[in-house]
Amino acid sequence: MSEHVAARGCITCGDVAIPMLVVEIDRARRLALCQSTRGERESVEIALVEPVQDGEWLLVHAGTALSRAAEPDAAASTAAGKGTGAEREAVA
Amino acid sequence: MKFIDEFRDAELGRALAVEILATVEPGRHYKIMEVCGGHTHAIYKYGVDDLLPPNVELVHGPGCPVCVIPMGRVDDGISLAHQPGVIFTCFGDMLRVPGSSQTLLDAKAQGADVRVVYSPLDALRIAKQHPERQVVFFAIGFETTAPSTALTLRRAKAENVQNFSVICSHVTIVPPLRALLESPDLRLDGFIGPGHVATVIGLAPFQFMPDEYGKPVAISGFEPLDLLQSMLMVLRQIADGRAEVENQYARVVPAQGNPRALEVMDEVFAVRPEFEWRGLGFIPESALALSDDYAEWDAELRFAVPGVRVADPQACQCGEVLKGAIKPWECKVFGTACTPERPIGACMVSPEGACAAYYNYGRFAREREVV
Repeated sequence: MSEHVAARGCITCGDVAIPMLVVEIDRARRLALCQSTRGERESVEIALVEPVQDGEWLLVHAGTALSRAAEPDAAASTAAGKGTGAEREAVA
Repeated sequence: MKFIDEFRDAELGRALAVEILATVEPGRHYKIMEVCGGHTHAIYKYGVDDLLPPNVELVHGPGCPVCVIPMGRVDDGISLAHQPGVIFTCFGDMLRVPGSSQTLLDAKAQGADVRVVYSPLDALRIAKQHPERQVVFFAIGFETTAPSTALTLRRAKAENVQNFSVICSHVTIVPPLRALLESPDLRLDGFIGPGHVATVIGLAPFQFMPDEYGKPVAISGFEPLDLLQSMLMVLRQIADGRAEVENQYARVVPAQGNPRALEVMDEVFAVRPEFEWRGLGFIPESALALSDDYAEWDAELRFAVPGVRVADPQACQCGEVLKGAIKPWECKVFGTACTPERPIGACMVSPEGACAAYYNYGRFAREREVV
Protein backbone atom coordinates (compact mmCIF):
# COMPACT_ATOMS: atom_id res chain seq x y z
CA MET A 1 0.00 0.00 0.00
CA SER A 2 1.00 3.58 -0.41
CA GLU A 3 2.48 5.28 2.64
CA HIS A 4 0.31 8.38 2.21
CA VAL A 5 -2.81 6.30 2.75
CA ALA A 6 -1.36 4.86 5.96
CA ALA A 7 -0.33 8.28 7.18
CA ARG A 8 -3.81 9.78 7.18
CA GLY A 9 -5.18 7.17 9.57
CA CYS A 10 -7.14 4.01 9.36
CA ILE A 11 -10.13 4.73 7.22
CA THR A 12 -11.30 1.16 7.66
CA CYS A 13 -11.97 1.66 11.32
CA GLY A 14 -14.17 4.70 11.08
CA ASP A 15 -16.87 3.07 8.98
CA VAL A 16 -15.57 5.50 6.39
CA ALA A 17 -15.82 4.80 2.69
CA ILE A 18 -14.66 7.07 -0.09
CA PRO A 19 -16.02 7.76 -3.57
CA MET A 20 -13.56 6.66 -6.26
CA LEU A 21 -13.68 7.00 -10.03
CA VAL A 22 -13.19 3.86 -12.14
CA VAL A 23 -10.18 4.41 -14.41
CA GLU A 24 -9.47 0.94 -15.80
CA ILE A 25 -11.10 -2.47 -15.37
CA ASP A 26 -9.42 -5.89 -15.25
CA ARG A 27 -12.52 -8.01 -15.82
CA ALA A 28 -10.68 -11.33 -15.64
CA ARG A 29 -9.40 -10.61 -12.12
CA ARG A 30 -12.54 -8.67 -11.08
CA LEU A 31 -10.46 -5.68 -10.08
CA ALA A 32 -10.62 -2.02 -11.12
CA LEU A 33 -8.01 0.71 -10.94
CA CYS A 34 -9.82 3.58 -9.22
CA GLN A 35 -8.88 7.17 -8.40
CA SER A 36 -10.01 9.16 -5.38
CA THR A 37 -10.88 12.87 -5.42
CA ARG A 38 -7.38 13.43 -3.96
CA GLY A 39 -5.85 11.74 -6.99
CA GLU A 40 -4.77 8.58 -5.13
CA ARG A 41 -5.06 5.38 -7.15
CA GLU A 42 -5.85 1.93 -5.74
CA SER A 43 -6.77 -1.52 -7.04
CA VAL A 44 -10.36 -2.11 -6.00
CA GLU A 45 -12.30 -5.36 -5.69
CA ILE A 46 -15.48 -4.97 -7.78
CA ALA A 47 -17.18 -8.35 -7.24
CA LEU A 48 -19.97 -6.80 -5.14
CA VAL A 49 -20.97 -4.13 -7.67
CA GLU A 50 -20.38 -5.72 -11.09
CA PRO A 51 -20.94 -4.87 -13.89
CA VAL A 52 -18.85 -1.72 -13.67
CA GLN A 53 -18.01 0.75 -16.44
CA ASP A 54 -15.11 3.18 -16.86
CA GLY A 55 -16.03 6.62 -15.53
CA GLU A 56 -18.43 5.35 -12.86
CA TRP A 57 -18.10 6.43 -9.23
CA LEU A 58 -17.89 3.69 -6.60
CA LEU A 59 -18.02 3.81 -2.82
CA VAL A 60 -14.85 2.05 -1.68
CA HIS A 61 -14.06 0.68 1.75
CA ALA A 62 -10.87 -1.23 2.57
CA GLY A 63 -10.15 -1.89 -1.08
CA THR A 64 -13.64 -3.18 -1.87
CA ALA A 65 -16.40 -1.31 -3.72
CA LEU A 66 -19.56 -1.63 -1.62
CA SER A 67 -21.95 0.32 -3.83
CA ARG A 68 -22.15 2.88 -6.59
CA ALA A 69 -21.80 6.48 -5.50
CA ALA A 70 -24.63 8.42 -7.10
CA GLU A 71 -24.21 12.01 -8.25
CA PRO A 72 -24.94 14.05 -5.14
CA ASP A 73 -27.74 16.57 -5.07
CA ALA A 74 -27.10 18.38 -1.83
CA ALA A 75 -29.81 20.97 -2.26
CA ALA A 76 -32.43 18.28 -2.73
CA SER A 77 -31.26 15.97 0.01
CA THR A 78 -30.53 18.48 2.73
CA ALA A 79 -32.90 21.39 2.18
CA ALA A 80 -34.06 21.60 5.78
CA GLY A 81 -35.40 18.07 5.58
CA LYS A 82 -38.59 18.94 3.70
CA GLY A 83 -39.86 16.28 1.30
CA THR A 84 -36.43 14.79 0.88
CA GLY A 85 -35.69 11.55 -0.88
CA ALA A 86 -34.30 10.37 2.43
CA GLU A 87 -37.68 10.52 4.12
CA ARG A 88 -39.34 8.65 1.32
CA GLU A 89 -36.90 5.76 1.91
CA ALA A 90 -38.15 5.21 5.46
CA VAL A 91 -38.91 1.63 6.40
CA ALA A 92 -42.55 1.37 7.34
CA MET B 1 -14.38 19.07 -4.21
CA LYS B 2 -16.80 16.68 -5.88
CA PHE B 3 -19.00 14.73 -3.44
CA ILE B 4 -17.77 16.76 -0.49
CA ASP B 5 -18.43 20.50 -0.87
CA GLU B 6 -22.13 19.85 -1.47
CA PHE B 7 -22.47 18.43 2.04
CA ARG B 8 -20.50 21.13 3.90
CA ASP B 9 -22.58 24.14 2.81
CA ALA B 10 -22.68 26.56 5.76
CA GLU B 11 -25.95 28.21 4.72
CA LEU B 12 -27.79 24.89 4.52
CA GLY B 13 -26.22 23.92 7.85
CA ARG B 14 -27.57 27.04 9.52
CA ALA B 15 -31.02 26.38 8.02
CA LEU B 16 -30.99 22.87 9.45
CA ALA B 17 -29.89 24.21 12.85
CA VAL B 18 -32.86 26.58 12.84
CA GLU B 19 -35.21 23.68 11.97
CA ILE B 20 -33.74 21.60 14.80
CA LEU B 21 -34.21 24.45 17.26
CA ALA B 22 -37.84 24.78 16.16
CA THR B 23 -38.43 21.04 16.56
CA VAL B 24 -37.20 20.48 20.14
CA GLU B 25 -39.29 21.24 23.20
CA PRO B 26 -37.41 23.83 25.30
CA GLY B 27 -37.91 22.09 28.66
CA ARG B 28 -37.03 18.61 27.49
CA HIS B 29 -33.58 16.95 27.49
CA TYR B 30 -32.78 14.74 24.48
CA LYS B 31 -30.08 12.05 24.44
CA ILE B 32 -29.17 10.84 20.97
CA MET B 33 -26.49 8.21 20.37
CA GLU B 34 -24.36 8.25 17.26
CA VAL B 35 -23.41 4.62 16.95
CA CYS B 36 -20.50 4.95 14.58
CA GLY B 37 -17.01 6.16 15.43
CA GLY B 38 -16.83 7.88 12.05
CA HIS B 39 -19.81 9.99 13.05
CA THR B 40 -18.20 10.90 16.39
CA HIS B 41 -15.08 12.00 14.56
CA ALA B 42 -17.05 14.07 12.01
CA ILE B 43 -19.23 15.72 14.69
CA TYR B 44 -16.22 17.13 16.52
CA LYS B 45 -14.10 17.78 13.46
CA TYR B 46 -16.80 20.04 11.98
CA GLY B 47 -18.27 21.34 15.24
CA VAL B 48 -21.69 19.91 14.42
CA ASP B 49 -22.54 19.75 18.13
CA ASP B 50 -22.10 23.53 18.38
CA LEU B 51 -25.09 23.96 16.05
CA LEU B 52 -27.36 21.92 18.33
CA PRO B 53 -29.53 23.39 21.10
CA PRO B 54 -28.06 22.84 24.60
CA ASN B 55 -30.82 20.39 25.52
CA VAL B 56 -29.77 17.97 22.74
CA GLU B 57 -27.01 15.76 24.13
CA LEU B 58 -24.95 13.48 21.91
CA VAL B 59 -23.87 10.14 23.37
CA HIS B 60 -21.05 8.29 21.65
CA GLY B 61 -21.64 4.65 20.85
CA PRO B 62 -19.56 1.50 20.48
CA GLY B 63 -19.04 1.80 16.72
CA CYS B 64 -15.24 1.98 16.57
CA PRO B 65 -13.99 -1.56 15.92
CA VAL B 66 -10.49 -0.75 17.17
CA CYS B 67 -11.87 0.53 20.47
CA VAL B 68 -13.99 -2.52 21.19
CA ILE B 69 -11.26 -5.15 20.58
CA PRO B 70 -10.39 -6.56 24.02
CA MET B 71 -6.83 -6.50 25.25
CA GLY B 72 -6.49 -10.29 25.17
CA ARG B 73 -7.28 -10.27 21.48
CA VAL B 74 -4.52 -7.70 20.86
CA ASP B 75 -2.17 -9.99 22.78
CA ASP B 76 -3.18 -12.84 20.45
CA GLY B 77 -2.20 -10.73 17.45
CA ILE B 78 1.11 -9.70 19.01
CA SER B 79 1.87 -13.33 19.82
CA LEU B 80 1.32 -14.27 16.17
CA ALA B 81 3.50 -11.37 15.01
CA HIS B 82 6.37 -12.76 17.09
CA GLN B 83 6.15 -16.24 15.54
CA PRO B 84 9.26 -17.00 13.46
CA GLY B 85 8.77 -16.53 9.73
CA VAL B 86 5.45 -14.72 10.06
CA ILE B 87 4.62 -11.49 8.23
CA PHE B 88 1.84 -9.94 10.32
CA THR B 89 -0.44 -7.54 8.45
CA CYS B 90 -3.05 -5.21 9.92
CA PHE B 91 -4.84 -1.89 9.44
CA GLY B 92 -2.92 1.16 10.62
CA ASP B 93 -4.75 1.90 13.83
CA MET B 94 -4.15 -1.52 15.36
CA LEU B 95 -0.42 -0.78 15.55
CA ARG B 96 -0.70 1.42 18.64
CA VAL B 97 -3.49 -0.34 20.52
CA PRO B 98 -2.03 -1.44 23.86
CA GLY B 99 -1.95 -5.14 24.66
CA SER B 100 -1.19 -6.25 28.20
CA SER B 101 2.55 -5.67 27.83
CA GLN B 102 3.18 -4.08 24.43
CA THR B 103 1.70 -2.90 21.14
CA LEU B 104 2.17 -4.26 17.63
CA LEU B 105 4.42 -1.26 17.03
CA ASP B 106 6.59 -2.37 19.97
CA ALA B 107 6.67 -5.87 18.47
CA LYS B 108 7.81 -4.37 15.17
CA ALA B 109 10.54 -2.42 16.96
CA GLN B 110 11.70 -5.70 18.50
CA GLY B 111 12.09 -7.22 15.04
CA ALA B 112 8.68 -8.73 14.30
CA ASP B 113 7.70 -8.27 10.65
CA VAL B 114 4.53 -6.19 11.12
CA ARG B 115 3.19 -4.42 8.04
CA VAL B 116 0.32 -1.96 7.62
CA VAL B 117 -2.10 -2.71 4.80
CA TYR B 118 -4.98 -0.72 3.35
CA SER B 119 -7.03 -3.78 2.46
CA PRO B 120 -7.00 -7.55 3.04
CA LEU B 121 -6.23 -7.85 -0.66
CA ASP B 122 -2.88 -6.15 0.00
CA ALA B 123 -2.15 -8.82 2.62
CA LEU B 124 -2.94 -11.58 0.13
CA ARG B 125 -0.65 -9.90 -2.40
CA ILE B 126 2.18 -9.95 0.15
CA ALA B 127 1.52 -13.67 0.70
CA LYS B 128 1.83 -14.33 -3.03
CA GLN B 129 5.04 -12.31 -3.17
CA HIS B 130 6.54 -14.28 -0.26
CA PRO B 131 5.51 -17.93 -0.70
CA GLU B 132 8.26 -18.99 1.73
CA ARG B 133 6.72 -16.96 4.59
CA GLN B 134 3.45 -17.26 6.52
CA VAL B 135 1.34 -14.11 6.11
CA VAL B 136 -1.33 -13.45 8.74
CA PHE B 137 -3.99 -10.74 8.41
CA PHE B 138 -5.56 -9.27 11.57
CA ALA B 139 -9.17 -8.84 10.40
CA ILE B 140 -11.14 -6.28 12.37
CA GLY B 141 -14.16 -4.17 11.58
CA PHE B 142 -17.94 -4.26 11.40
CA GLU B 143 -20.05 -5.49 8.50
CA THR B 144 -18.59 -2.73 6.33
CA THR B 145 -15.16 -4.34 6.41
CA ALA B 146 -16.11 -8.01 6.70
CA PRO B 147 -17.00 -8.37 2.96
CA SER B 148 -13.43 -7.31 2.04
CA THR B 149 -12.01 -10.05 4.21
CA ALA B 150 -14.54 -12.55 2.86
CA LEU B 151 -13.76 -11.74 -0.79
CA THR B 152 -10.02 -11.98 -0.09
CA LEU B 153 -10.46 -15.40 1.52
CA ARG B 154 -12.57 -16.56 -1.41
CA ARG B 155 -9.74 -15.39 -3.68
CA ALA B 156 -7.13 -17.16 -1.51
CA LYS B 157 -9.13 -20.38 -1.74
CA ALA B 158 -9.66 -20.11 -5.51
CA GLU B 159 -5.96 -19.45 -6.08
CA ASN B 160 -4.95 -21.98 -3.40
CA VAL B 161 -2.70 -19.55 -1.52
CA GLN B 162 -1.58 -21.77 1.34
CA ASN B 163 0.70 -19.38 3.21
CA PHE B 164 -2.09 -16.87 3.96
CA SER B 165 -4.32 -16.92 7.03
CA VAL B 166 -6.63 -14.62 8.96
CA ILE B 167 -7.15 -13.98 12.67
CA CYS B 168 -10.79 -13.10 12.43
CA SER B 169 -12.03 -10.45 14.88
CA HIS B 170 -14.90 -9.05 12.85
CA VAL B 171 -17.84 -7.89 14.94
CA THR B 172 -21.48 -7.18 14.15
CA ILE B 173 -23.38 -4.05 15.10
CA VAL B 174 -26.84 -5.26 16.08
CA PRO B 175 -26.00 -7.34 19.22
CA PRO B 176 -24.21 -4.47 21.04
CA LEU B 177 -27.06 -2.11 20.14
CA ARG B 178 -29.50 -4.53 21.71
CA ALA B 179 -27.22 -4.83 24.76
CA LEU B 180 -27.21 -1.03 25.08
CA LEU B 181 -30.98 -0.84 24.75
CA GLU B 182 -31.31 -3.49 27.46
CA SER B 183 -29.00 -1.52 29.76
CA PRO B 184 -31.15 -0.10 32.58
CA ASP B 185 -28.90 2.89 33.34
CA LEU B 186 -28.78 4.34 29.84
CA ARG B 187 -31.85 6.27 28.71
CA LEU B 188 -31.55 7.15 25.05
CA ASP B 189 -34.17 8.93 22.94
CA GLY B 190 -32.93 8.02 19.48
CA PHE B 191 -30.06 6.80 17.33
CA ILE B 192 -27.96 8.06 14.43
CA GLY B 193 -27.38 4.78 12.59
CA PRO B 194 -24.16 3.67 10.86
CA GLY B 195 -24.36 4.55 7.17
CA HIS B 196 -21.77 2.24 5.70
CA VAL B 197 -22.71 -0.78 7.78
CA ALA B 198 -26.23 -0.26 6.41
CA THR B 199 -24.79 -0.17 2.87
CA VAL B 200 -23.96 -3.84 3.46
CA ILE B 201 -26.74 -5.12 5.75
CA GLY B 202 -29.57 -2.78 4.70
CA LEU B 203 -32.23 -1.20 6.91
CA ALA B 204 -34.16 -4.22 8.15
CA PRO B 205 -31.66 -5.31 10.88
CA PHE B 206 -32.27 -1.96 12.65
CA GLN B 207 -36.06 -2.34 12.63
CA PHE B 208 -36.09 -3.97 16.09
CA MET B 209 -35.06 -0.63 17.60
CA PRO B 210 -38.36 1.14 16.84
CA ASP B 211 -40.45 -2.06 16.93
CA GLU B 212 -39.25 -3.50 20.24
CA TYR B 213 -37.86 -0.46 22.04
CA GLY B 214 -39.80 2.44 20.49
CA LYS B 215 -36.59 4.27 19.52
CA PRO B 216 -36.30 6.40 16.35
CA VAL B 217 -33.33 5.69 14.06
CA ALA B 218 -31.89 7.70 11.16
CA ILE B 219 -29.23 5.95 9.07
CA SER B 220 -26.77 8.74 8.36
CA GLY B 221 -24.03 9.80 6.01
CA PHE B 222 -20.77 11.27 7.27
CA GLU B 223 -20.69 14.87 6.15
CA PRO B 224 -21.80 17.69 8.48
CA LEU B 225 -25.09 18.27 6.64
CA ASP B 226 -25.80 14.53 6.67
CA LEU B 227 -25.44 14.49 10.44
CA LEU B 228 -27.54 17.60 10.99
CA GLN B 229 -30.31 16.28 8.78
CA SER B 230 -30.23 12.90 10.56
CA MET B 231 -30.54 14.62 13.92
CA LEU B 232 -33.48 16.60 12.60
CA MET B 233 -35.11 13.37 11.38
CA VAL B 234 -34.74 11.73 14.79
CA LEU B 235 -36.00 14.82 16.64
CA ARG B 236 -38.97 15.12 14.28
CA GLN B 237 -39.89 11.48 14.93
CA ILE B 238 -39.78 12.19 18.66
CA ALA B 239 -41.88 15.34 18.22
CA ASP B 240 -44.45 13.45 16.09
CA GLY B 241 -44.53 10.46 18.45
CA ARG B 242 -43.20 8.20 15.69
CA ALA B 243 -40.49 5.52 15.85
CA GLU B 244 -39.14 4.36 12.49
CA VAL B 245 -35.92 3.55 10.67
CA GLU B 246 -35.37 6.43 8.27
CA ASN B 247 -32.65 6.50 5.66
CA GLN B 248 -30.96 9.90 5.45
CA TYR B 249 -28.12 8.32 3.44
CA ALA B 250 -30.38 7.10 0.62
CA ARG B 251 -27.90 8.32 -2.00
CA VAL B 252 -25.65 5.42 -0.96
CA VAL B 253 -27.64 2.98 1.22
CA PRO B 254 -30.12 0.72 -0.59
CA ALA B 255 -32.92 -0.49 1.72
CA GLN B 256 -31.93 -4.12 1.10
CA GLY B 257 -28.16 -3.54 1.56
CA ASN B 258 -25.76 -5.40 -0.71
CA PRO B 259 -27.05 -8.99 -1.21
CA ARG B 260 -23.79 -10.12 -2.83
CA ALA B 261 -21.84 -8.96 0.20
CA LEU B 262 -24.19 -10.80 2.53
CA GLU B 263 -23.87 -13.93 0.40
CA VAL B 264 -20.06 -14.02 0.49
CA MET B 265 -20.07 -13.27 4.23
CA ASP B 266 -22.48 -16.16 4.75
CA GLU B 267 -20.16 -18.46 2.84
CA VAL B 268 -16.91 -17.46 4.54
CA PHE B 269 -17.96 -16.68 8.13
CA ALA B 270 -19.81 -18.39 10.94
CA VAL B 271 -21.28 -16.52 13.90
CA ARG B 272 -19.30 -17.01 17.12
CA PRO B 273 -21.43 -18.13 20.10
CA GLU B 274 -20.11 -15.11 22.01
CA PHE B 275 -17.34 -12.51 21.84
CA GLU B 276 -15.81 -10.20 24.40
CA TRP B 277 -16.22 -6.47 23.75
CA ARG B 278 -14.03 -4.02 25.58
CA GLY B 279 -16.18 -2.39 28.23
CA LEU B 280 -19.33 -4.25 27.25
CA GLY B 281 -18.24 -7.74 28.29
CA PHE B 282 -19.29 -10.92 26.50
CA ILE B 283 -22.13 -10.42 24.01
CA PRO B 284 -23.79 -13.48 22.44
CA GLU B 285 -23.53 -13.94 18.66
CA SER B 286 -21.79 -10.61 18.19
CA ALA B 287 -18.73 -11.61 16.16
CA LEU B 288 -17.63 -13.71 13.21
CA ALA B 289 -15.22 -16.63 12.91
CA LEU B 290 -14.22 -18.44 9.72
CA SER B 291 -16.66 -21.12 8.60
CA ASP B 292 -15.63 -24.78 8.35
CA ASP B 293 -15.13 -24.40 4.59
CA TYR B 294 -12.41 -21.82 5.29
CA ALA B 295 -10.86 -23.44 8.38
CA GLU B 296 -7.66 -23.98 6.39
CA TRP B 297 -7.11 -20.20 6.36
CA ASP B 298 -7.90 -19.68 10.05
CA ALA B 299 -4.79 -18.39 11.84
CA GLU B 300 -6.25 -19.42 15.20
CA LEU B 301 -6.22 -23.05 14.02
CA ARG B 302 -2.93 -22.84 12.15
CA PHE B 303 -0.90 -21.32 15.00
CA ALA B 304 -0.90 -21.60 18.77
CA VAL B 305 -2.74 -18.50 20.01
CA PRO B 306 -2.78 -17.70 23.76
CA GLY B 307 -6.49 -16.77 23.80
CA VAL B 308 -6.18 -15.45 27.35
CA ARG B 309 -8.71 -12.97 28.70
CA VAL B 310 -6.99 -9.84 30.02
CA ALA B 311 -8.74 -7.26 32.19
CA ASP B 312 -8.50 -3.62 31.11
CA PRO B 313 -6.18 -1.35 33.14
CA GLN B 314 -7.97 -0.16 36.28
CA ALA B 315 -7.42 3.52 35.53
CA CYS B 316 -9.00 3.21 32.07
CA GLN B 317 -12.72 3.95 31.75
CA CYS B 318 -13.07 3.07 28.07
CA GLY B 319 -15.93 0.76 29.01
CA GLU B 320 -18.06 3.55 30.42
CA VAL B 321 -17.18 5.79 27.47
CA LEU B 322 -18.16 3.06 24.99
CA LYS B 323 -21.47 2.57 26.75
CA GLY B 324 -22.08 6.32 26.69
CA ALA B 325 -22.29 6.34 30.49
CA ILE B 326 -19.62 9.03 30.83
CA LYS B 327 -18.16 11.64 28.52
CA PRO B 328 -14.49 11.11 27.60
CA TRP B 329 -13.33 14.13 29.64
CA GLU B 330 -14.93 12.60 32.74
CA CYS B 331 -12.44 9.69 32.66
CA LYS B 332 -9.81 9.96 35.41
CA VAL B 333 -6.86 9.69 33.04
CA PHE B 334 -8.23 11.62 30.02
CA GLY B 335 -5.71 14.13 28.72
CA THR B 336 -3.25 13.48 31.53
CA ALA B 337 -1.95 9.92 31.71
CA CYS B 338 -3.89 8.98 28.55
CA THR B 339 -3.24 11.02 25.40
CA PRO B 340 -3.15 10.13 21.68
CA GLU B 341 0.67 10.08 21.93
CA ARG B 342 0.67 7.69 24.91
CA PRO B 343 -2.77 6.05 25.03
CA ILE B 344 -3.86 3.81 27.87
CA GLY B 345 -7.24 2.92 26.44
CA ALA B 346 -8.22 2.08 22.89
CA CYS B 347 -10.68 5.00 22.67
CA MET B 348 -7.67 7.33 22.66
CA VAL B 349 -5.80 5.36 19.99
CA SER B 350 -8.11 5.42 17.02
CA PRO B 351 -8.90 8.80 15.42
CA GLU B 352 -12.54 7.64 15.50
CA GLY B 353 -12.39 6.82 19.21
CA ALA B 354 -14.53 9.18 21.27
CA CYS B 355 -11.61 10.17 23.54
CA ALA B 356 -9.28 10.97 20.64
CA ALA B 357 -12.05 12.96 18.91
CA TYR B 358 -12.62 15.02 22.07
CA TYR B 359 -8.90 15.48 22.67
CA ASN B 360 -7.92 16.35 19.11
CA TYR B 361 -10.68 18.90 18.56
CA GLY B 362 -10.36 20.78 21.82
CA ARG B 363 -13.41 19.46 23.65
CA PHE B 364 -11.37 18.97 26.80
CA ALA B 365 -10.61 22.68 27.05
CA ARG B 366 -14.19 23.72 26.30
CA GLU B 367 -15.75 21.30 28.77
CA ARG B 368 -13.31 22.52 31.41
CA GLU B 369 -14.42 26.11 30.82
CA VAL B 370 -18.04 25.12 31.31
CA VAL B 371 -17.21 23.41 34.61
